[in-house]
Amino acid sequence: MERHLTAPGVRIRGLTVVYNTPSGELPAVSGVDLTLAPGTITGVVGESGSGKSTLALSMLNAVQPPGRISAGSVEIDGLGDVVRLRGEELRRTRGRKVGYVFQAAQNSLNPLKTIGAQLLDLGRSHDVGDLRALVRDARELLGRMGMDGARVLDSRQHELSGGMRQRVGIMFALVLDARVVVLDEPTTALDMITQATILRIIREVHDERALTTLVITHDVGAVAEVADDLAVMYGGRVVEHGPVAEVLGAPEHPYTRGLIRAIPRLSGDLGLARALPGRPPTLGTLPAAGCVFRERCESSLDLCRTAEPVPAARAGRTVACHLPGPHAVPVKRKEYA
Amino acid sequence: MTRATANRAGALARRVAGHVARGLVMIWLVATISFVIIREIPGDPVLAMYESMLQKGMSPDQAERATAVLYGFLPKGSLWEQYTGYMGSLLHFDLGRSLSTPGVEVTSLIGSAASWTVLPVLAGTLLSFLLGVTMGVYAAVRRSGRLGDLLALSGSLLHGVPVYVIGLLLTAIFATLWPILPSGGPVDVEFTPGLNAGYLGSLVRHAVLPVVTYTLASYGGWILAMKSNVVTVLGDDFILAAELRGLRRGIVFRYLARNAILPLFTILALSIGMLFGGSIFIEEIFNYPGLGLLLVNSISSRDYALMGGTFLVITIGIVVANIVADLLYSVIDPRVRSGGTA
Repeated sequence: MERHLTAPGVRIRGLTVVYNTPSGELPAVSGVDLTLAPGTITGVVGESGSGKSTLALSMLNAVQPPGRISAGSVEIDGLGDVVRLRGEELRRTRGRKVGYVFQAAQNSLNPLKTIGAQLLDLGRSHDVGDLRALVRDARELLGRMGMDGARVLDSRQHELSGGMRQRVGIMFALVLDARVVVLDEPTTALDMITQATILRIIREVHDERALTTLVITHDVGAVAEVADDLAVMYGGRVVEHGPVAEVLGAPEHPYTRGLIRAIPRLSGDLGLARALPGRPPTLGTLPAAGCVFRERCESSLDLCRTAEPVPAARAGRTVACHLPGPHAVPVKRKEYA
Repeated sequence: MTRATANRAGALARRVAGHVARGLVMIWLVATISFVIIREIPGDPVLAMYESMLQKGMSPDQAERATAVLYGFLPKGSLWEQYTGYMGSLLHFDLGRSLSTPGVEVTSLIGSAASWTVLPVLAGTLLSFLLGVTMGVYAAVRRSGRLGDLLALSGSLLHGVPVYVIGLLLTAIFATLWPILPSGGPVDVEFTPGLNAGYLGSLVRHAVLPVVTYTLASYGGWILAMKSNVVTVLGDDFILAAELRGLRRGIVFRYLARNAILPLFTILALSIGMLFGGSIFIEEIFNYPGLGLLLVNSISSRDYALMGGTFLVITIGIVVANIVADLLYSVIDPRVRSGGTA
C-alpha cells in the first residue's frame, strides 16, 4: 500500500472545555496550548481529573455531554480545525483521519459480534471499496502485534484476553490508515509484560507509519519508555511541556517533581515514594484565581495566590510557574540520572 | 471447522436432552403434588363422590368404576395404587372427566378453552412487546426531551394500573359510551362457525378489546425494561468507541438495540409460557371462555379433575417456555453459547 510518509502536525490553541454541573459550567480544560510536532509521540500525564481524557476526546471533537468545547481550536494538518467539524464530516474524520484507542479498550468491542464483522462495519461506514484488502490489512496488523489474525477476526470479545483486546483496539485505530492516533490509557489494567509489549508495538507502528501520536496516561514510567515529548497536566492546564528526557530528568514545575517522587520503584525502598500532599482538584475545588497548584505546592509565593502563571519558554521547554528557574535541583533517581 | 461444528451440534443436543429431562421431572412433581392435594384435601372429594354414588344405589363395583372415570384414579386401594393408576392414565393423556360438566373429558374442555386463550393472549403479548420495545428505545434515546419523559411516564402509569381497571375502562368507553365494539363473549351466535367472512369478522371484533387490554396491561413493563436496558447499554464503552471509530449512526443503533433487547427475550419466552394460564381478569370481564375462566370455574365448582388438569397444562406451558427461552438465549447470545463448552 502506498503511503505518503509525512506525518501531520497538530496545534491545539486556547482549548477550553466546560462541563455543565449543578453549580454552573466548570472548566475541565482551560485555555490549553499544545503543539504536537509531526511524527512525534507526545505523552500526557496527570492525576485523575487533570483533564487529560477530556483533552484526548477533544482531538476528535467528541467531548460527551454535559461537557462541551467552549473555546479554542484543534488544528490538524490536512483536516483543519476539528472543533468546527459537524455531522457527517465529523463522523468521516473519526476513525479514518484520527484513530482513537479507547480508555479500557477491553470493553470497546461489541460483545455480540465477531471482530471481523465489526471490522466490516467499520469499512462500510467509511465507504471502503475493497473490503477484502481491509481484512488483509487487519490480519497483517494483528500478525505484527503477535497474534493469529485470522483467528482473532473470527473471535468475539469474550474469547480474547485483555492484552489481545487492547491490540485489537489499536488495530481498529490504525487499519484505515489514520495519521493522527490518540491513545487514552492504552496500558491501564494490563500486566507489566503485556504493557511493555503494547508500548513496543505503539512505538514500532508509529515509526513505521509516520504517525503523530498522543498517549494519555497516568503512568510516568510508560511515558518515559514510549514518548518523545511529555506534557504534564494539572487542573485542566498544561503546566510543563518539553522533551521527555529533560522533563523527567530535570523537572522544572513543582508538580512534575512531586509526580516523579510519587512513583514507587520495583526495586528499592517503597518508602522512597512520597505521595503528593493534598488531594487532586475536582471541577468544583479548583482555585478561582492564581496558580491552580498553589495549595499543594511546597514552595508557593505570595504572587501565586493572585496571578495565574503564564506558560513560558524556559530550559528547553514550556513551564507555567512563577518560581524563578532553573531553581530546581534535579531529583536524584537512578532511572533518570 | 467441521469438527468444531459437530462438537457444537453435539453440545446443543446434550443441552436439549438435559433440559427436557429436567422439564419432565418438573411436570412429574407438579402432577404428584396436584394428585396429593386432590387426594388429601379436607373432605376428600373422591371418597365423597364414591359414597354419594353408593347412596344413589350403585353397587360398590359400579361406584368405583364411575369414580375412576371421573377422577382418573380409583377411590379405593392404597394411596400408592391410586397414584400409579393416576400416573398411568396421565401417560395416555387421560386427565379424567369433569364434574361440573358431567361426562365431558377434561382434555377436551381444556382443548377448547385453550384455543380461546392462546390466540388473543399471544397477539396481546407480541403486540405489547413490539410496542413497548420500540417506545422504550425512543424513551431512552430522548430521555432528556419532553416526549421521552412522556413515554416513560405512560409506561409507569400503565404498569401501575391493574389490568381489570384497564379492561373495565375500555368496556365503558368502547362498548357503552361509544358502542362500536361488543362488550363480551367470544363471537356472535348468529354466524355459523367456519371460514366465512361473517364469522371471522365477528371473531376479530370480539377479540379487539381483550387484546388491547392485554397489550396495554403489559406494555408498561416492556417500555420500562427496554428503556433501562438501552440507558445501560448507552453508557457502555463500546457504544462510545463505535462512535469514535466513525461508524454510521444506523450501525451504532443496531449495536445498541441488539445488546439492549437481549435480556428481554427471556422474559418474552416466559410470558408466552404463562399465557396458558390465561388472564383470569380479562376473560372474566369480557366473558371470554379461555383457560383462565375455566380455572376459576373449576375452583368455584370444586371440579378437582379439571383443576388438576388445568394446573398441569399451565405447568407444561411454563416448563416448555423455560426450555425454549434458555435455548433461544444460547442462540442469540454468543457468550452463553460458548460458555457451556469453553
